[in-house]
Amino acid sequence: MPRSTYTEALLGPELFKKVKETRILVVGAGGIGCELLKNLVLVGFANIEIIDLDTIDLSNLNRQFLFRKPDISKPKALVAAATARHFNPSSGIDIHARHGNVKDSVNDLEWIKGFGLVMNALDNMDARRHVNRLCQAANVPLIESGTAGYLGQVTPMIKDETECFDCVPKPAPKSFPVCTIRSTPSEPIHCIVWGKTYLFGKLFGEDDEDMDTEELDKAKASGENAEEIENLKKEATAFREVRKNLGEEDGPQRVFHKVFNEDINRLLAMEDMWKKEGRIKPVPLEHEGIMNGTFATPPSRQAPSTSAPNGTAQTNGSSAQKKQSLKDQRELTLKENLELFIDSCKRLSARSIAYPDTPLSFDKDDDDTLDFVLATANLRATAYGIANKTRFQVKEMAGNIIPAIATTNAIIAGLIVMQSLNILRRLPLPSAPAESSAGPAIRNVFLRTDAIKPLGYSMPAKADKKCSVCRDIYVPIKVDLEKCTLRAFVDEVVKGWLSKAEFEGKDEDEDIEWTIFEGGRLLADPDFDDNHERTLDDLDVKRGKMLTVRDEDGKYRPVHFSICEGDAQATSPYSLPSEPPCVPLAPPAPASREPSEEPIILDSMPPPTNNVSENTPISSTTAVGTKRSAPDDGDVKGATEEEQVVKKRKVVVLDEEDDFEIL
Amino acid sequence: MSNLAQARLHEERKQWRKDHPFGFFAKPVKAADGTLNIMLWEVGIPGKQGTIWDGGVYKVMMTFPDEFPTKPPKCKFDPPLFHPNVYPSGTICLSILDEEKNWKPSITIKQIVLGVQDLLDNPNIGDPAQIDAYQMYKNDKHGYERKVKQQAVERRPK
Repeated sequence: MPRSTYTEALLGPELFKKVKETRILVVGAGGIGCELLKNLVLVGFANIEIIDLDTIDLSNLNRQFLFRKPDISKPKALVAAATARHFNPSSGIDIHARHGNVKDSVNDLEWIKGFGLVMNALDNMDARRHVNRLCQAANVPLIESGTAGYLGQVTPMIKDETECFDCVPKPAPKSFPVCTIRSTPSEPIHCIVWGKTYLFGKLFGEDDEDMDTEELDKAKASGENAEEIENLKKEATAFREVRKNLGEEDGPQRVFHKVFNEDINRLLAMEDMWKKEGRIKPVPLEHEGIMNGTFATPPSRQAPSTSAPNGTAQTNGSSAQKKQSLKDQRELTLKENLELFIDSCKRLSARSIAYPDTPLSFDKDDDDTLDFVLATANLRATAYGIANKTRFQVKEMAGNIIPAIATTNAIIAGLIVMQSLNILRRLPLPSAPAESSAGPAIRNVFLRTDAIKPLGYSMPAKADKKCSVCRDIYVPIKVDLEKCTLRAFVDEVVKGWLSKAEFEGKDEDEDIEWTIFEGGRLLADPDFDDNHERTLDDLDVKRGKMLTVRDEDGKYRPVHFSICEGDAQATSPYSLPSEPPCVPLAPPAPASREPSEEPIILDSMPPPTNNVSENTPISSTTAVGTKRSAPDDGDVKGATEEEQVVKKRKVVVLDEEDDFEIL
Repeated sequence: MSNLAQARLHEERKQWRKDHPFGFFAKPVKAADGTLNIMLWEVGIPGKQGTIWDGGVYKVMMTFPDEFPTKPPKCKFDPPLFHPNVYPSGTICLSILDEEKNWKPSITIKQIVLGVQDLLDNPNIGDPAQIDAYQMYKNDKHGYERKVKQQAVERRPK
């Protein structure tokens, strides 16, 4: 009896046939991806492509169970496929594993059209957006998923039927105002960001001051106030001096003196800065005083934070004794922080000197950089009376670590397969028609921290009529990029082919004017034809990119021409679908976009309206849901607790991210 | 970059070309590859008439993030400016450009440039960003004004 007998009996012969025949794309071979690949293979999916750009790291092994220690630093997708292939030898399985970025140009519209179903097992917003757009453009169903700690979700997305990933605005990753980071920090995270992005960059990162100096020289040459320019230049180059001397014996000590004493004294000199309510004057730190114990630690402005995010030691029930025994979870003394600062500076500057052409960058798994950020953040926090953090906490905050739990990933991967069956049931195959009503409807599923009802579900919401991704028009175009000029594209494709399209509500004599974009680049508009004689290749319009055509009045939906590989035998430099699309009207611009004659004045500003936070996920009351987000984190965390909330479409993205061990 | 940012900046450019305040300019920068970079705008802000800033046109580079308009553009005087709320690097410290404070996705480029123009003569002394201008403004108003006026002369459009 073949091992698929029971599955076939359960699913029925038609669905089982689809399972075997449908080409599936799995994007990501990490926490969810490993679990998902195992599930797919065991269910009997036999035609799978898996892609991941990452290589295996030691910290993956606790949950990405397709990998073993000898696999470290090998490509995830390849190893995952090689391991999982053997789980079901009878199914005639074909796993095509690729080590690469899903955003690579070869992964174009034609490529994604080759799949019956796409499953995301990603850890970042950018790639999610990219795959979503591809799937919407190609009309291929997508199952989106994510986990954070104990929470997770699975969201099927089908063009024209459900909302897409971009229908619901996602809160942008949190960032901090430059003033808070540089002058007036009030939270530990402000100090961590300062250490990680500002000071680290100044001392060991890319030296961007060449440009500053050049600009200032130019300004001076063009007759600007020489003295003022000199002053600004002095500021801009102060760090250069420090950087140059870093390798000397007392270099780190001089850095310490500059940033924790001189710079703080300079801030203190700006007295008005400290008159604002809630701001507490920092205290300059003294190297000698700290070393010989005579320096009085400034009073802390707040009680040391006891609420640690879920997943850190405090909430995992560790006793005080245990805490002490784990060195990463012990708070350092001021003197220890200072010593660590000096020591990590020495280690990093030795690396800088050894490899002068490779600027260093912060990496949470690079002990030298982590030690530097830890010591820097705590010294700054001390100066500002802000609570210190342990090495463990700083690693989590600076590294934007989201707790990943193997069990959660496993549950979510199981739910993805359940939803994939619901979708497959409705998809036609040449040999098996779609079943319209049979079987459960597709649904969004949520894993919650509710002991009685851990799984919640909701019916997928309808697409947002205003969505700037799934409501736009996409057209594949096969182009010989070296032959096709921008003029040919504008005159023949846009003004010729596209103008024959049916434009909703277009007047007979209406003459539409067009602007052509490629991403953030404007290539041509009615008054700008400088690039018309250049080829698309010369303009760096490559396979996988999109040429977006927008009418000048913003009346119609934009049309995105998705560049696919040209046909070598073709006589024409491009080929298009036989029928141009129907182009609907664009939704009216929101009223707020109307130009207002009222200038916005600083002090008369209305209180912040939190436009964004209306769409911010409602955090659960558990520690996991209230995880902070760090500034350059590309992702959103949080979780819906109530189905009620889900119904209001405040849907959340949860992330599967890196490196977190749960005891 | 997102479709949304592209759509919005296309709209901003159209609105600006249709109508903008007198004496200002704002346009996407021409990139080395000959295309226009709609994520980076060069903006000119004239000092208000009758103020010590009058006569100068102060150039600002506006960098729009991929998450625009959820996130505000970064605005930097180029070259840096002698002003209490401008960092030595030229970065402007202004509440409407701060997503934690008063930034709203509906704020237009026109509103931003008018806000920055207003900041010129109404420095916010509670949030100083450079020590030189701050201290002169506090302790030597006369010297401050002289310096600002001189700067206005130097930045008079040629």
